[in-house]
Amino acid sequence: MAKIERTQKLFLKSLKEKFQGQDPQSETAEYYKFNGYHQSPRKEEFVKASRAVEMDRGISMYDPVRCHLGGIPLGQRQLMTYEVSGTGVFVEGDDLHFVNNAAMQQMWDDIRRTVIVNMDLAHQTLQKRLGKEVTPETINEYLHVLNHAMPGAAVVQEHMVETHPGLVDDCYVKVFTGDQELADDLEPQFVLDVEKLFPAKQAEVLSAAVGKSLWQAIHIPTTVSRTCDGGTTSRWSAMQIGMSFIGAYRMCAGEAAVADLSYAAKHAGVVQMASHLPARRARGPNEPGGIMFGVFSDIVQANRKYPNDPAKASLEVVGAGTMLFDQIWLGSYMSGGVGFTQYATAAYTDNILDEFTYYGMDYIKDKYKVDWKNPSPNDRVKPTQEVVNDISTEVALNGMEQYEQFPTMMEDHFGGSQRAGVLAAACGLSSSIATGNSNAGLNGWYLCMLLHKDGWSRLGFFGYDLQDQCGSANTLSVRGDEGAIGEVRGPNYPNYAMNVGHQGEYAAIVGGAHYGRGDAFCFDPRIKICFADPALKFDFAEPRREFAKGAIREFMPAGERSLIIPAR
Amino acid sequence: MAYKPQYGPGTSKVAENRRKQMNPSQKLEKMRDVTDEDIVLILGHRAPGAAYPTAHPPLAEQQEPDCPIRKIVTPTDGAKAGDRVRYIQFADSMFFAPCHPYQRTYLESYRFRGIDPGTLSGRQIVECRERDLEKYSKELLETELLDAARTGIRGATVHGHSLRLAENGMMFDMLQRSVLGEDGIVRYVKNQIGEPLDRAVAIGKPLDEKWLKAHTTIFHSLGGVPYRDDAEYIEYVQRIHSLRTKYGFMPKE
Repeated sequence: MAKIERTQKLFLKSLKEKFQGQDPQSETAEYYKFNGYHQSPRKEEFVKASRAVEMDRGISMYDPVRCHLGGIPLGQRQLMTYEVSGTGVFVEGDDLHFVNNAAMQQMWDDIRRTVIVNMDLAHQTLQKRLGKEVTPETINEYLHVLNHAMPGAAVVQEHMVETHPGLVDDCYVKVFTGDQELADDLEPQFVLDVEKLFPAKQAEVLSAAVGKSLWQAIHIPTTVSRTCDGGTTSRWSAMQIGMSFIGAYRMCAGEAAVADLSYAAKHAGVVQMASHLPARRARGPNEPGGIMFGVFSDIVQANRKYPNDPAKASLEVVGAGTMLFDQIWLGSYMSGGVGFTQYATAAYTDNILDEFTYYGMDYIKDKYKVDWKNPSPNDRVKPTQEVVNDISTEVALNGMEQYEQFPTMMEDHFGGSQRAGVLAAACGLSSSIATGNSNAGLNGWYLCMLLHKDGWSRLGFFGYDLQDQCGSANTLSVRGDEGAIGEVRGPNYPNYAMNVGHQGEYAAIVGGAHYGRGDAFCFDPRIKICFADPALKFDFAEPRREFAKGAIREFMPAGERSLIIPAR
Repeated sequence: MAYKPQYGPGTSKVAENRRKQMNPSQKLEKMRDVTDEDIVLILGHRAPGAAYPTAHPPLAEQQEPDCPIRKIVTPTDGAKAGDRVRYIQFADSMFFAPCHPYQRTYLESYRFRGIDPGTLSGRQIVECRERDLEKYSKELLETELLDAARTGIRGATVHGHSLRLAENGMMFDMLQRSVLGEDGIVRYVKNQIGEPLDRAVAIGKPLDEKWLKAHTTIFHSLGGVPYRDDAEYIEYVQRIHSLRTKYGFMPKE
């Protein structure tokens, strides 16, 4: 390792905005003079809103003076704003809690309400068993019927209740295939055109991987998956698929072949976004704990939009992943804690992780001649222990030195877990992008943790004792229940299952290995294509920008209810 | 061959300070006097002079099972008496405080008996029987392990270890449990959990910057010892990591 010069400090603008009128390198600050929570316009809004709620319901609520530490409210130090990294947008910290951010909710809604269902199995049943003709015209007709039925409308029976289209406007079905001739024969409104959505090199690989098979990208209504759960998605979808086949192909509603179609839609031909979890975690498919990291890196689309910047593509996965896995999965599903947001946002605000990661990019270019701006498997470095140790050590030391040299940045990331996640993420990303190997990236993460702990004699919260101090040993293990390649690890992988501040970064490390190689997908080409859909409510190519829009209240989500509630 | 502790690697002053604090044969320098009553006040677990509440009868009065481990391990005074388990918790400023969370845990494990330390980034807690705790606390408070301005005794709301120092040199504490007087003496006006004390407890003057930088156990490139400069330390951590990786991949050799 050897320090390299990098004069650009991506975090400086944020620090100057957050700590206005102060030198970012100052070692002292003023405290206890900020008038508590009154310094925050958002918390003032909370108090006002709470008073209205209390008057309405007659039960006490938000009372930050009386209820916080016996009369000492938040805000004895400066309550900072945050710049959502890579966006230039400054937001209130409170607005990055998923309850206060409609974009965050929609990102998870859009994943949970999605399944991909194969059409070839059903077509074989129709053709070979029932002798029916399947042509582009019949497929188009079926898709018309399905887009009527999937939101909750009747197709076969009389006197049925139906859902209001204005409440389920986010629900639809499109198809994709690697057979461009077939794609060209289908109505454009129903087609995810791989050639148009992806850069040519990626499109070629994706089309070849999907081949001639035809797949349905299905998004059931947000309201349905919210009221029920992720396990509902494939069931809701399969019911409407079955009814649509009956309607479109004039089948008998009770004939045995319908069972084949149901089986294909519910089991044999369905791709869930997440596998179900064991009883101790008790979740069905399509819940966050079952999303493999390789799948998550395919869901996020930044490498499609920014194919020549694997660092940015990975950082977008960090943002999306920490929000989903830390704030929603571990924070709320698993623990119920409200404060997990504080861990997660450190990784996608103020351009701090961005700066550390681009330092790593400069380093791998300078020392190993990795042309990271032109992703290719050809110039990756062989992932030896020495190489990973070297890259990770240099990136870790640089990050620690930046925190030391800019005390306002240390104050920004005031918790050790925040710093631990950010430093190790930069090390993991640098290692994985340099080598094109996700497990090498994970190995870089754990060396950083050990270096960090010994350098500052502290690391993160208690949980870091377990995961990060024994983590080196499982990074290259692939024994059952002890290890796996990074792509198929996930939030419920044994050693990862309990710790905030890790899983989003792990997902990005896995993604980085592929983005660095210029791969079209990380694990599943079908998922990569499915989430390239511009009609989705949430733009998966720009998760951090979407979160910023949510924070400043400019994001329009699905799940409309004003049609069925009294006007305010 | 008898095990001989090495107390960690490193050629730097920071590494040397760490080894000194850990090594129980090295006497820690006494920097201040804190009375037994003052320690009880800061801890806040019992009123000064009150009897120790117990969790069980004294060991001599209860029927002990026939256990080989109990025959080997001599109970501490607190365990003998049946004391409750209570705690002291510290927050250490990253601006050159003399001791830091893992360092605390390591040195306590070498120097004290019957303890249960817990280590985080902003705080370190050690739990043990109450009368043992008061004895250990005296050593933790009176010696070079504590600086009045940059070490906080904080049971809850520990926020401050990584923040810039206040303009008077004190580490931020939302509850302002300790205050720097005009006479240059730091006094605790609240106990570690933040309850106001009937009288202030003086713990002496902050140590000067030069002393702190010479005695601290944290690497820090802003005016201290940069971690990067201790190549032996870095190499040691890399070696640990490499060996763990290797044997996790294929546990043989």
